[in-house]
Amino acid sequence: MSSADTTLKHYFVSHEQQFDAAKLGMWLFLVTEILLFAGMFVAYAVYRSWHPEVFLQASELLDWRLGALNTVVLLASSFTVALSIHYVQKGQNDKVFLLIILTLLCAAAFMVVKYFEYSDKFSHGIFPGAGFDPHGIIDGKDYSKYNVPFAPQFFSIYFVMTGIHGVHVLVGMGMFGWLATRVARGHFSPQWYTPVELTGLYWHLVDIIWIFLFPLLYLI
Amino acid sequence: MAQGHHHIIPLRTLSIVFAILLVLTVVTVITARIDLGALNVPLALSIAGFKAILVAMIFMALKYDNKVNLLAVVLGVVFVVVFLALTFADTEFRGNLGITEPAITEPVSEPSDKEPPSH
Repeated sequence: MSSADTTLKHYFVSHEQQFDAAKLGMWLFLVTEILLFAGMFVAYAVYRSWHPEVFLQASELLDWRLGALNTVVLLASSFTVALSIHYVQKGQNDKVFLLIILTLLCAAAFMVVKYFEYSDKFSHGIFPGAGFDPHGIIDGKDYSKYNVPFAPQFFSIYFVMTGIHGVHVLVGMGMFGWLATRVARGHFSPQWYTPVELTGLYWHLVDIIWIFLFPLLYLI
Repeated sequence: MAQGHHHIIPLRTLSIVFAILLVLTVVTVITARIDLGALNVPLALSIAGFKAILVAMIFMALKYDNKVNLLAVVLGVVFVVVFLALTFADTEFRGNLGITEPAITEPVSEPSDKEPPSH
């Protein structure tokens, strides 16, 4: 109980109230994140409805196998985060530490796959904006045939959406690294683990964004 | 006590949700590789929507939480729909304005050196 007193701010009646307030605050932040990405999803929807055939054709150049791999990696990391909250609630902090490290590794794997995808696109002249100049032949696809009007819009949207999503993954990696050190220092207990819970919420949202990005950009 | 308040989601529930998410990922890849015509986009979005709801309700524990959190998210999503609907109310009804080829957007003639109309 003595440790509990240091984690309960004096202006809250109980841990329960403090936890609920922190969580609602996090959800409000996540709503602003949803709206941030909504701007980009609406841009995607408008350009797609104007040029559906161009979007369908351009999406062929994205490797759906790498996109699917990254989807599985992110889902797995969401699962490990959910498990870490399960175990922190039970006070099994050694498992929490391991699961947070696993999450961090999944996030790193995601960024490595993204790195290979981006560098493959850059090396064949697919850049956002004015540098767009696809060339070369990969998997029997002649990239220069994809240099059609409005194809650059698809790839600009692709780079901006996955880029901002990638920044969120990097931020998440930083937070999981910070959480791992705090778990190791014994900061969390079943009574107080708010940072684990809130970082978990953030990470699930990053996963949800990717759940939509994957089919929209790679598949359909 | 405070800790009694937190709902601990059973390992079994978490594992089942993870398994369903993986299966749905396979389903969305397979159905997208098959040409279903006009159905491809709505199907992929429905699967993604269902996956998102699963993550939000179970992994993010909205199902077990204080319902004010759910209210915040639902309101956020409602405003995304408003955003999309109002934008489409413009962009879908512009006639030829929205579908100009790049060549057409270039100046067709030299700008005239007439005085701009005064207000």
